[in-house]
Amino acid sequence: MAAGSAISPTQLLGHLPSFITFASSIQWLSALASDTQTMKSSHFLTFCSLLLLTVSGSHGQQNPPSIEQLLNEPFLDDYYSNVVYGYEIVTDTQKNASRYVGNSLNCSSCHLQAGTQKEALPLNVAGMYPKWRAKNGKRNGIGLRIRECFLYSLDGIMPPEDAPEVLAIAAYVTHLSQGQVLGAEPEGRGVPTLPDTGYDPNPANGRSVYLEQCSSCHGIQGEGIGEMPAVWGSDSYNKGAGMNRIREAAGFIWANMPLGNGKSLSHQQALDVSAYLNLQYRPADPRGSKFFKLLEDLFN
Amino acid sequence: MIKQLLKEATPSFAWKNKLHSWRAEIFAGFVGAILVIPQGITYAYLAGLQPEYGLYCAIFVTLFSSILGTSSMMSGPNTAVAILIGIAVLPLAGRGSPVYIDFVFLLCMMVGLIQLLFWLLRGARIFQYLSPAAISGISAGAGFLIIMASLDSILDLSTFQTTFFYEKLYVIVSSAEELINPYSLVIGVATIMGGYIGRRYSPRYYIIIAVTAGYLCGLLVAFIWPQPVTELEYLGRMPLQWLPFKVPTVNMEYLMSSIKLIPYAITIAFIGLAQSLIIVRELKMETDQNINLNKEVYAQGVANFLAPFFSSFAGSGSFNRTKANQSLGASTPFSGIAAAGFVLILITVLGPILTYMPMAAMAGTLFLVGTDMIKWRDVKHYAQIRSELFIYIATFISIIFFGLATGIVVAVFLSVSVFLVRISELELKVEHTDSGPLLKIKGALFYASVAHLTEKFQSHFGEDLTVDLQYTTHIDQSAVDFFIRESKNMAANGSKLTLLTNKQQQLFLSKLGANSGINLVSL
Repeated sequence: MAAGSAISPTQLLGHLPSFITFASSIQWLSALASDTQTMKSSHFLTFCSLLLLTVSGSHGQQNPPSIEQLLNEPFLDDYYSNVVYGYEIVTDTQKNASRYVGNSLNCSSCHLQAGTQKEALPLNVAGMYPKWRAKNGKRNGIGLRIRECFLYSLDGIMPPEDAPEVLAIAAYVTHLSQGQVLGAEPEGRGVPTLPDTGYDPNPANGRSVYLEQCSSCHGIQGEGIGEMPAVWGSDSYNKGAGMNRIREAAGFIWANMPLGNGKSLSHQQALDVSAYLNLQYRPADPRGSKFFKLLEDLFN
Repeated sequence: MIKQLLKEATPSFAWKNKLHSWRAEIFAGFVGAILVIPQGITYAYLAGLQPEYGLYCAIFVTLFSSILGTSSMMSGPNTAVAILIGIAVLPLAGRGSPVYIDFVFLLCMMVGLIQLLFWLLRGARIFQYLSPAAISGISAGAGFLIIMASLDSILDLSTFQTTFFYEKLYVIVSSAEELINPYSLVIGVATIMGGYIGRRYSPRYYIIIAVTAGYLCGLLVAFIWPQPVTELEYLGRMPLQWLPFKVPTVNMEYLMSSIKLIPYAITIAFIGLAQSLIIVRELKMETDQNINLNKEVYAQGVANFLAPFFSSFAGSGSFNRTKANQSLGASTPFSGIAAAGFVLILITVLGPILTYMPMAAMAGTLFLVGTDMIKWRDVKHYAQIRSELFIYIATFISIIFFGLATGIVVAVFLSVSVFLVRISELELKVEHTDSGPLLKIKGALFYASVAHLTEKFQSHFGEDLTVDLQYTTHIDQSAVDFFIRESKNMAANGSKLTLLTNKQQQLFLSKLGANSGINLVSL
């Protein structure tokens, strides 16, 4: 089978029993061969093991099924159904993981193209975890990392460790990370770090850039229009989110905004817009009191 | 026959004319809705599903079984059914994952179909043979399982399985410091205390008092410590649709893997119907409702079969909610229909508040429900008769050691065998008359009880024996064969056997050829 041909996971699984019978018959044959003690037995064994290698090799070269292929499958096993579920959560968090979401964003609001776009916080980072993060001063597994996204960027509540949503997203992240070097940083991870422009970010200038370039999609009040996410206000990310750091948001804006026309703003403009966003009202940091968060929720 | 089935299969709404106190019905429905919300959420947890499925179950299973049913029984999410669903599907997929949910739906459809089969076979009678002691034992065992499951959430343990419950307790106690989340424990204890104190003042609504206490305690904890520190699990937003209609996925692969589910489907169908019919039977005895048992079986079956189409899992009648319903004066299925509507309204209104409901508080109510199911009163009640106490204790022990499904099998086996042993005992009385000894037999003469006769026949060997069968309730073929054999023996010894019978017995005995060597006297 040529690489890239449509092969479904069920087909792969279907090959497994025949493969096992094949391997065991070889074992039986080799046992027979060693019993007869003929000279040919060693050649026979080499031949068999070569055959075995080619067979297993052809299976190993198989490309993992893409999400599109998985979406068209009528039946998915436990693992791949979790991958697809994770994909569905990332693209439509409001529908599929609304239990833990407190605002109107989806994962793919920031992780563009369902987490596959470079320099837009791509999700192919499973090989980098566990890793120490300054944010919570702990060594984080991929699970904790996902759970914190719900707490900060999605302004919701932290799902438990074994929540099906967390496990599904972890499966999807792992699926995306195939082909990456374990322990190394994938190309285009996170957002680009902008060089020092020599000037402080200027929110007033940022406001004029925002009104000119961004407000047609994100709204004059930052409330988001249609599919476009809210960038401030009670329906946006909270003050504990990574996007609430000026440099991080500036990198994201410079590389990806306006959507489909990334890298058109200057570094300074991106910094200015980021500073402007940072001054706006948004939900409180959940590391502070939950009581105010509850009041906020009740009044909205 | 078919006409009768069709009549049972259509909703009768016969209660429409009796709806004189609709205000009481609606209020009862409202209270039922308040009671079912925490139960639905916690039972969904037991079944390994997201909380909204429990609420859908509280809405749609209640609705269907009330529309099709004839009684004021409150149906909906049920403890034993939920636990069994969790046990059945967990080996097939990770809890709460999409495949898991598909399997749960498939299982519930199977349960519905089996219950409909029961209805076609007129199976409602069978449940009268499950002895009350066995039912109390099952209920107590389920209560114990609920308490153990609630510990997971109260102590915030990540779920772990042990072979026997005492290992789990040992692990919890021996490494309490690492395992137990103190914040979670405080909220759980506050809920349970709230429940016990609340029961003194309002035994009917104490679950709601307990949940409120737990919720307020949770707010207090959240007020002081943020979630990343406490690691508390909250209920979260519940995305409730008003009509979550969806055709469940059924295809060859699912059906192939679901063969393992069939024994569980039978067990769930059986235990669900057993609970519902026990409730209905009680209602029939205690109230003047016009109840049709077969129709109730049909209602349960259809409700469970349709449940997966409305994102719910299977349910059955609920003891505690039906009791509350009855005490508020509801006497028609209308209260159930009202309850289903109120759940939808309440959740829409309460949604934002429930978001920060700690799961520990929910588990606290589960703990209270579990302790309620183990009743000291039951033990005392059954202690008076040894066999009943034995059934109760054996059922309870086999459930806590070997699980609910095994326990139910043990319960059924024991109650049937105790029943068999009891009816195979004969009351034998020998009177001496002029024409030889007269043997009076009281009871049922069948293969198991005939052996008792042998001794009497041997002790009066060689005499002319008269056997009085007038008080015998049933005679089967092996008993007739026994009489023929004995009469031949006696004839060889020169004595003869006389049977005193009534008309029916005479006909039966002659048909089986007992009229040749035996002197049959019809009275």
